[in-house]
Amino acid sequence: MRSLGRTRRKAGEALTAWALLTPSLIGVVLFMLVPIAIVVWLSFYRWNLISPPRFVGLANWVGIMTNGRFANSLLVTGAFVLIVIPTQTALGLFFANLLHRRLPGSGFFRTLYVLPWVCAPIAVGVMWTWVLAPSHGALNTLIGHRIEWLSDQALALPSVALVSVWSQVGYVTLFFLSGLGAIPETITEAAQLDGAGRLRIFWTITVPLLRPTLFFVLLTTAITAAQTFDTVYVLTGGGPLYATDVVGARIYYEAFQNHEFGSAAAMALVVFILLAAMALLQKLYFDKRTTYDLST
Amino acid sequence: MTSLRERVATPARAAGVYALLVAGALAAIGPLLLTVSTAIKTPSDFASHSALAPPQPPSTVNFAELLGGSHNLTHSIWVTAAVTAFVVLTQVTFSILAAFAFARLTFPGREPLFWVYLSTLMIPQAVTVVPLYLMMVQFGLRDTFWGLVLPLCFGSPYAIFLLRERFRAIPQEVVDAARLDGVSTLDMLVEIVIPLSRPIIVTLTLITVVSQWNSFMWPRIVTSGTQWQVLTVATAALQGQYNSHWTLVTAAAVIAMAPIVTLFVLTQKHIVRSILITGFR
Repeated sequence: MRSLGRTRRKAGEALTAWALLTPSLIGVVLFMLVPIAIVVWLSFYRWNLISPPRFVGLANWVGIMTNGRFANSLLVTGAFVLIVIPTQTALGLFFANLLHRRLPGSGFFRTLYVLPWVCAPIAVGVMWTWVLAPSHGALNTLIGHRIEWLSDQALALPSVALVSVWSQVGYVTLFFLSGLGAIPETITEAAQLDGAGRLRIFWTITVPLLRPTLFFVLLTTAITAAQTFDTVYVLTGGGPLYATDVVGARIYYEAFQNHEFGSAAAMALVVFILLAAMALLQKLYFDKRTTYDLST
Repeated sequence: MTSLRERVATPARAAGVYALLVAGALAAIGPLLLTVSTAIKTPSDFASHSALAPPQPPSTVNFAELLGGSHNLTHSIWVTAAVTAFVVLTQVTFSILAAFAFARLTFPGREPLFWVYLSTLMIPQAVTVVPLYLMMVQFGLRDTFWGLVLPLCFGSPYAIFLLRERFRAIPQEVVDAARLDGVSTLDMLVEIVIPLSRPIIVTLTLITVVSQWNSFMWPRIVTSGTQWQVLTVATAALQGQYNSHWTLVTAAAVIAMAPIVTLFVLTQKHIVRSILITGFR
């Protein structure tokens, strides 16, 4: 009798659980898993939405590998990530160390630093097209020279990277600040008593103890940077001459401007694989190195 | 024995730290302030003085032109507000329901299913936009309100993950005591679990508001024309069309940023906490 009641309760509980899960399950299946299946299917088809889809075998894959444009976009994305990530990580660490001293007003500065990050990337991009405009732009007026920040072949990518760094530094700073807060002061004080200098303490104590934070920050910011789209879309549209044609923009233009949905799908899958590989590599690297448990 | 913090507190050192902090703050908000300053200039004021000169005098002419007149950003503001409100409400609600099921109910297949949810966190947006667009075309939902919100409104696996952690932390005795009193499963969610998890729910709500208000790629893809044009799409379109009408273009950027900046300043502590907890982007 008792076990029957329990069985019935369990069955009721399972039923309730599935009812509660239904909406999110629809979302996960229909808008995440089905799209992955479609992307794989689509990468073997040619489809422009006007004529019916046509099976083309590996043509899209061969096409994106041999046509230099996709390779270019991967290189541009790689260069972009290599400029953005070290710069904003170094700046984030720097400002987090300043804020960590908790001088009066630190909270106010922290707020100001995070402000760019909450602004819509599109609005940030629009704002910076003016700041970087050749004539009547804020930066050129300030330095008194006319520099084509966004239309010079060599300057465009670093300029776009600068805008990206500007909007992300506060976010990175915030995480390092919270990581620094978790390091017990007794450790740094002990090192100081042993006569270690400020820089020595930073490299031999702070950085190793920050490793979990560093891992998280590097992983999320690298994945975000590799998918950059909004800022590039308004700042340069991928130009001049594909100098800022990051892969997020390439997929967009391939699909929604050239209406080559099949090859856009193949590109998207390559990006998926590369991002997963990047996450795995970073994890292996950080796992190999010791992390310290400060919970005691 | 001097601690790091005492050592830094010498006036000269503190002054050095402040100088660096101020330099950082200027770099962070300088461009924003200059943009606002340009947005409140008349076009002729902007053309006849240095780009860095203060407005003489401040004017609302650009905002009037954008919010009224032919640009009608007011319409885009309403569309954005409606989309944001709908997505936030549905996404947070459905995420709570799912997280509660994963955290406090037992049913066959719970763990594997949760792993399926978690694995979707690996999927980048760049991968799903193309198929999602094709699906919306097939459903006949291109350029509709439903096309804008449908892929987002059924809940977010990341929110589910975070909420599940919190829901699991509620002591079993509390739940058991409620059970003994004959509280139904749904009442338990509404009367015990949700009130006890208020901070994380507020956090998730805020962060969803910010990301939804700022989102661009999906609205840009799934809508065309002005009927369902959200603010980010309208701003980008304006910049393309009025390239070098800088007072107008910067005013549009200010309109797009102002609500979120205000929300951030008002709920600063919460949002900072949200960022730290969710690591959200």
